[in-house]
Amino acid sequence: MKSTKGSACPVERGEEEILLRYCAGTLAAEGAAQLEGHVTSCSRCRMWVQEQQMVWRALESWELEPVTADFDAALLARIAREKEARPGWRGWWERAVGAWSGGLEWRVAVPAAALALLLAAGLAVTNPFRGEPVETAVRLEAREIEQAERALEDLEMLRQLEPPEEDKKL
Amino acid sequence: MMAVATFEHDAELMLRVRDGDAQSFSLLLAKHRGPVIHFLYRMIQNQAVAEELAQEVFLRVYRSRASYEPTAKFTTWLFRIASHVALNHIRDGKHERHQESLDGEGTEGIGRQVASRAPTVEQEMVRESRLAEVRRTVESLPAKQRAAVLMHKYQEMDYAQIAAALECSESAVKSLLFRAYETLRAKLAHLAGRG
Repeated sequence: MKSTKGSACPVERGEEEILLRYCAGTLAAEGAAQLEGHVTSCSRCRMWVQEQQMVWRALESWELEPVTADFDAALLARIAREKEARPGWRGWWERAVGAWSGGLEWRVAVPAAALALLLAAGLAVTNPFRGEPVETAVRLEAREIEQAERALEDLEMLRQLEPPEEDKKL
Repeated sequence: MMAVATFEHDAELMLRVRDGDAQSFSLLLAKHRGPVIHFLYRMIQNQAVAEELAQEVFLRVYRSRASYEPTAKFTTWLFRIASHVALNHIRDGKHERHQESLDGEGTEGIGRQVASRAPTVEQEMVRESRLAEVRRTVESLPAKQRAAVLMHKYQEMDYAQIAAALECSESAVKSLLFRAYETLRAKLAHLAGRG
């Protein structure tokens, strides 16, 4: 098998990315000049570059339609509508987020903590487990005791299966 | 040097938007409206939907003004939002429902231009067919490859910027671009012979 390690050919080395940068004109001048010398003498690289340049030209030929004249007006109207619809909480939220991103201040931290406490209190009041029937709780407790007993029995059985201390020393 | 100046200028404008300056938002909009709509149009290939999605992009920019921090180049941040919006749109399957007929739309556009530029009918048909083929081929690329190629070719973004916009590694971007251009070369190289 032919070694491609010392080859100057990017295609042989599997480094076509350098050819892509060459075609895009983002390769440093020195590197581009070196590669240009190689591309003129290497048919594979020349073909690669020609095809890529063709793709480039094909993409450049993609003409676009002009943007609708009232694009900005429509956007600014949407922003205005949004501001009108939610002025209060939105302003508070933006200030809070702004403060958070620049370091949480106590003026934000205190109301945030108060809100968290309120939420926790609300959850405690509407705890879904509060109204659970007594029978269910008793059944759960009985099952837990049963499971614990079974675990103890299993442990006892394992201890019996273990060899005596004297055997372990042998 | 120019890039640095632009970076600082856009970021500075966005910081002013954060402080409530509506004029700065209009300046950013005027500057980036075109590239964002064109990117979305090439992703979705429907002008009306592209403009609708672009509205969503700039709306998100405006909504995010309070949390904006100039940690990355403004355009990278902007195209990150635009990519998200486009990829979500495609993922949700809205793309197929809205997509216009390539032939239909192309013909309409060409029809208008024939009168003003007056090339021969044959030249116009060749051009139209080439354009339709380019659009079909770009559209056939997987969405992420398409986004990477469009940002690389039309926005001239480097690998690091594309990686930041698509939230992946630079090596992943290289791989996306490599596969995408390989497909494009295979499908479009024959156009060279058609002049």
